[in-house]
Amino acid sequence: MAWNEPGGNNKDPWGGGNRNNDGPPDLDELLRKMQQKLNGLFGGKPSDSQGGSGNGGSFPWSLVLIVLAVVYGLWGFYQVEANESAVVLRLGKYHSTESSGLHWNPPLIDHVTKVNMTEVRTERTTGQMLTEDASIVDVVLQVQWHIDDAESFVLRVADPLKSLQEATDSALRHVVGSQTLNGVISQNRTQVAADTQVRLQEYLDLYITGIRVDVVNLTDAKAPREVQDAFDDVVRAREDEVRLQNEAQAYANQVIPVARGQAQRMLEEAEAYKSRVVASARGEAARFTALLKEYQLAPGVTRERMYLETVQDVMSNTSKVMVDVEGGNNMMYLPLDKLGQGSGTSAAQRQQVSPQVVDEISQRVINQLRTEAANTRRSREVR
Amino acid sequence: MNNNKSLFVIALILIGLLVLSGSAFVVKETERAVLLRFGELVRTDYKPGLYFKIPLVHELRKFDARIQTVDSQPVRMLNSENKFMMVDSYAKFRIFDVGRFYVATRGDERNAVRLLAEQINNRLRNQFGVRDLHEVVSGQRDELMAEITKNLNETAQTDLGVEIVDVRVKRIDLPPEVSESVFQRMRAGRELEARDHRAKGAEASERVRANADRQRVVIESEAYRKAEELRGAGDAEAASIYANAYSKDPEFYRFSRSLTAYRESFKDKTDMLLVEPDSEFFRYLKDPGGK
Repeated sequence: MAWNEPGGNNKDPWGGGNRNNDGPPDLDELLRKMQQKLNGLFGGKPSDSQGGSGNGGSFPWSLVLIVLAVVYGLWGFYQVEANESAVVLRLGKYHSTESSGLHWNPPLIDHVTKVNMTEVRTERTTGQMLTEDASIVDVVLQVQWHIDDAESFVLRVADPLKSLQEATDSALRHVVGSQTLNGVISQNRTQVAADTQVRLQEYLDLYITGIRVDVVNLTDAKAPREVQDAFDDVVRAREDEVRLQNEAQAYANQVIPVARGQAQRMLEEAEAYKSRVVASARGEAARFTALLKEYQLAPGVTRERMYLETVQDVMSNTSKVMVDVEGGNNMMYLPLDKLGQGSGTSAAQRQQVSPQVVDEISQRVINQLRTEAANTRRSREVR
Repeated sequence: MNNNKSLFVIALILIGLLVLSGSAFVVKETERAVLLRFGELVRTDYKPGLYFKIPLVHELRKFDARIQTVDSQPVRMLNSENKFMMVDSYAKFRIFDVGRFYVATRGDERNAVRLLAEQINNRLRNQFGVRDLHEVVSGQRDELMAEITKNLNETAQTDLGVEIVDVRVKRIDLPPEVSESVFQRMRAGRELEARDHRAKGAEASERVRANADRQRVVIESEAYRKAEELRGAGDAEAASIYANAYSKDPEFYRFSRSLTAYRESFKDKTDMLLVEPDSEFFRYLKDPGGK
């Protein structure tokens, strides 16, 4: 045969487009078995035998024709898998699209192209592109697609895969070009993907590719490496902003309770003061009232007693100098500075100093009194 | 004899097949074909199907009927700001008048692609030359492309016999020096934003802290007020208790309180009393009779 050797490897002269007509192996098996059977029927007999075909001795034309017809017939069988469609051209003209199952089309007359209809394929595009605000953004986009219309995919466009790539590039850049940089890298990522999908599908339909876009994912969109530092710093600045606020909040959370505590302390102290003052007033008042009752029973004596007790206490607890200035505008010298020296110094010093000082003073006073007074004067120092 | 005969028949069949193969041809759904007789066009209106030609007289040329791509190389273009950019575009076209197409391209599809690429780039250059970068990137790309497509169709259909389905810009790249200025601008913008965030943080922080301080002062001064009120109330109550008790005998109160005061005032050895012996206290000191 000049073209189309049996066995499926379809090398017909009007080639063009991709072909994948390898018959499934079980079909080859079948074909081989059939050939063996035929050989058993006809080929096994010697050529000069009488019988069977009737025209013994002559070339077995009928046999050759039958073999050719059977081979041709078997050759036309092909199987379409569950996930495939087969586009059939009859003498170059579109004839039909077959779904899964075993089919027969006359070889050489019909031309069959099988395409996988369910396999979801992924197209990935990456690159730096310009945004609406004339910035540059790094984008990685993934498009998942499948063949929706086998007839278009096979017959209407020269290179559907390349068309898809180009349409993806163009649609993505168009959409990104109408978005701000911030929109692309953060807020509107899903919007970018959705717009790209719509636009890409428009292009693919316009180019009659028969491709249906399932999903468009903007897997990555970030500022270019050259300006990444500045972008990272913005992230850090946002964190700083939050951190400063948190710190301030922490400060507030600490200061206010402490203030409340202190306020409570002030109140408690005031309450305590009040209780104390009132209680001591009550106590003193009660004491006074009790004393008064007794006093009223014997005023003179009580008054005398109280007076004497008090003066005794006072006298016994202080230093005293008795001065008798009767009938005298006599000059009396009291070294009060010396006398008062004890105050403000330590107790030990006082104990050392005070007796001497007091002695000295007493001595002087006594001397003076003696020399001057007619009546006996005495001065005494009691410690 | 038999063998010779059969050989002859087989040869005849083979020759027949050869002739058939030279004369029969199929025009597919995906193809356009022109038939030439000694170089001149005879027939161009083939629908898909089986046709015959005379071998050695007729020549058959086939072209792709499907939508094809013009993928031109990226081209340097100037925009209205006199900045260069690299523009990479593609176009989709379809042969609709194969005869005209054959004549225009002399049977070589690559010629058509080259011609189309040149024309597309010229039109893009004209359009981009009067627009700035922003308009090119984000402006009316759709309208721009539709216009170029329409405009190109007017010439392409008559000159080349092809229909332009679509023209699209794939990518616009900036030369390094322009990119660098874009990066500079982006950085400046980010720095602004970062500063703004930090300032806002400081502001919010200051606000919260000041508010906390104010609350502290308010709480404490309020507490002081209440405390003073309480103390005052205590003092008042104490005063009224004292007054109630002492007013029963003010003179005796004066007396006893004075005694307490004396006792409290003079209780230290350093206190120096100068006493005259003729006071009430020393009445019996000089004279047991108390005269």
